[in-house]
Amino acid sequence: MAMGHLKANPFSPPRQSEIVGDHLGAGLGLKAEHLDDVLALPAGDANPSGNGLWFEVHTENYFVAGGPRLNYLRSVRENFELSFHGVGGSLGYDHQSMPAHVKQVKALIDEFQPRLISEHAVWSRVDGRYFADLMPLPRTHDALQSLIDGIDVYQTGVGRRILIENPSNYLDFVSEMDEPQFLVEAANRSGCGLLIDINNLYISSQNTGIDALAYLQQIPASLVGEIHIAGHDPDPELGRALLIDSHAAEVDSSVWALLEQALSIFGHQPVLVERDANIPAFAELMREQQKAQRFLDQCTYKGSR
Amino acid sequence: MAVDDYIAAFAHYLRTGDANRMHDFCVNPEHIKRMAVYRNGFYKGCIDALSANFPMCEKLVGNESFRNAAHIYVDHYPPEKGTLVGYGQNFSGFIADFFSGLVTNESQALPVNIADLAHLDYAWLTSLMSADSEQVLRGEHVAWLVAQGHDLALVEVRLSPSVILCDVGASAFSQWLSLKTNQKEDEQGNSASTNDLVMFWRRQGAVQARSLSVPEAALMRALQRVDSTLDSGFAAALEVDPDFDVSDIFSACLQNELLETDMTQYRPESDLI
Repeated sequence: MAMGHLKANPFSPPRQSEIVGDHLGAGLGLKAEHLDDVLALPAGDANPSGNGLWFEVHTENYFVAGGPRLNYLRSVRENFELSFHGVGGSLGYDHQSMPAHVKQVKALIDEFQPRLISEHAVWSRVDGRYFADLMPLPRTHDALQSLIDGIDVYQTGVGRRILIENPSNYLDFVSEMDEPQFLVEAANRSGCGLLIDINNLYISSQNTGIDALAYLQQIPASLVGEIHIAGHDPDPELGRALLIDSHAAEVDSSVWALLEQALSIFGHQPVLVERDANIPAFAELMREQQKAQRFLDQCTYKGSR
Repeated sequence: MAVDDYIAAFAHYLRTGDANRMHDFCVNPEHIKRMAVYRNGFYKGCIDALSANFPMCEKLVGNESFRNAAHIYVDHYPPEKGTLVGYGQNFSGFIADFFSGLVTNESQALPVNIADLAHLDYAWLTSLMSADSEQVLRGEHVAWLVAQGHDLALVEVRLSPSVILCDVGASAFSQWLSLKTNQKEDEQGNSASTNDLVMFWRRQGAVQARSLSVPEAALMRALQRVDSTLDSGFAAALEVDPDFDVSDIFSACLQNELLETDMTQYRPESDLI
């Protein structure tokens, strides 16, 4: 559907070069089921969860020309900072149709001025087909260049620096470098930052045997601009031998523990609690958000920036 | 290893379920079956989107039948854009073929009106997500035009972006409405309708729907044309029903914000209401 008449933005854009989430605390993924709860929240100083509460949306869900979906987001934006998290950009491969996609992202960014913009270090599109999932790239020099090219098209198109997220790995593909090397190289050469998804990292460590702490220690704190946490589930057939990135359960204790380690390495970062299925009452998600905020409040290291 | 070869093999697996070409790229051949997580995720995302976009169809045929049909639809019409918003543009034609056995060679009982219900579901969705109207023709505009001596009949008008006209069989709309409202068809008061044109529009963020009478349908179809005027719209309605009350329908159009006009043609923007 074509984008229609997005409105002139009343918000100040962040400077183009900065990673802009320093002042953000713990955020929540914005779900349609919770819009009334969110709109009923007091804003700013009056908000019991503190000034740091913010909301993240999947950017492509707002590829609509008009109507209530955009209007709800406008209402939320009046009181809260937003993060736009893309899931359909296919940064890793097939960039031919990306300009049209990015044009829609840019129109939304221009209106809503999100503090953070992110995408995934994966592929999802080839030969005119969109495989609506986040497929991992092989960690080869060839794939790295393809990813960097995609990030470049995206960042040029939106006119902002973006963050790219580490994938969930269920098996190992033949590679020429490990994932931290791959992501750091992509960030250094493209100028993007990194979104470290702690749940993805935990899942990958359990599924493929990598050392999650060693992984975190290879990432320069200066590149990190956001952290995700979420719930996962065991595979229905293989059980805990294969953990699935379901976003359908509360955050696991192992993920909370790994978050604590990540914050000790990266310092204070915006932390997002994701939940995309089996959506509980808003109050339950706010309890997880407040727990994440407590982790941030106890984080004494403020980062290297 | 060339990324092109890896992606081609991965995409082949996603399309067909055949993972043989992925063996060269997997470190542990025993783990290759884990790739099913990606394929399942792809289908689940698409089928969930179709379920959200065609809720009355799903309600009519049941969750299992719907998901079976949707799975095959994904094979025939995979998403092309990097979003599932609006996915299912070809679903109404497909689902009729599916239930008549044209797609699967397994003829199933064809639910009455299934294609029409899909049309109505998609029209509702299209209206919901359409652009907001920026040039709504309002009563105060009409009063001003008349006061300034403009011939109202010659004012160029068009339908607002959220107005979607949907041709369906005679009983489809009442069936769709009864599914949506969880009421029996005879409680809707529309079951005897012979109208085959349903109009969807959005007002104050909510999608409205009603079946149109023959002259109303003629009016709306005329107003869909480029460069239409109130005169050409009313003429089309009066042609099929000389007794049609155009002033009533015009008032209803204004109240429901169905019409747009470019008022800057008649006065400078700074002077607009």
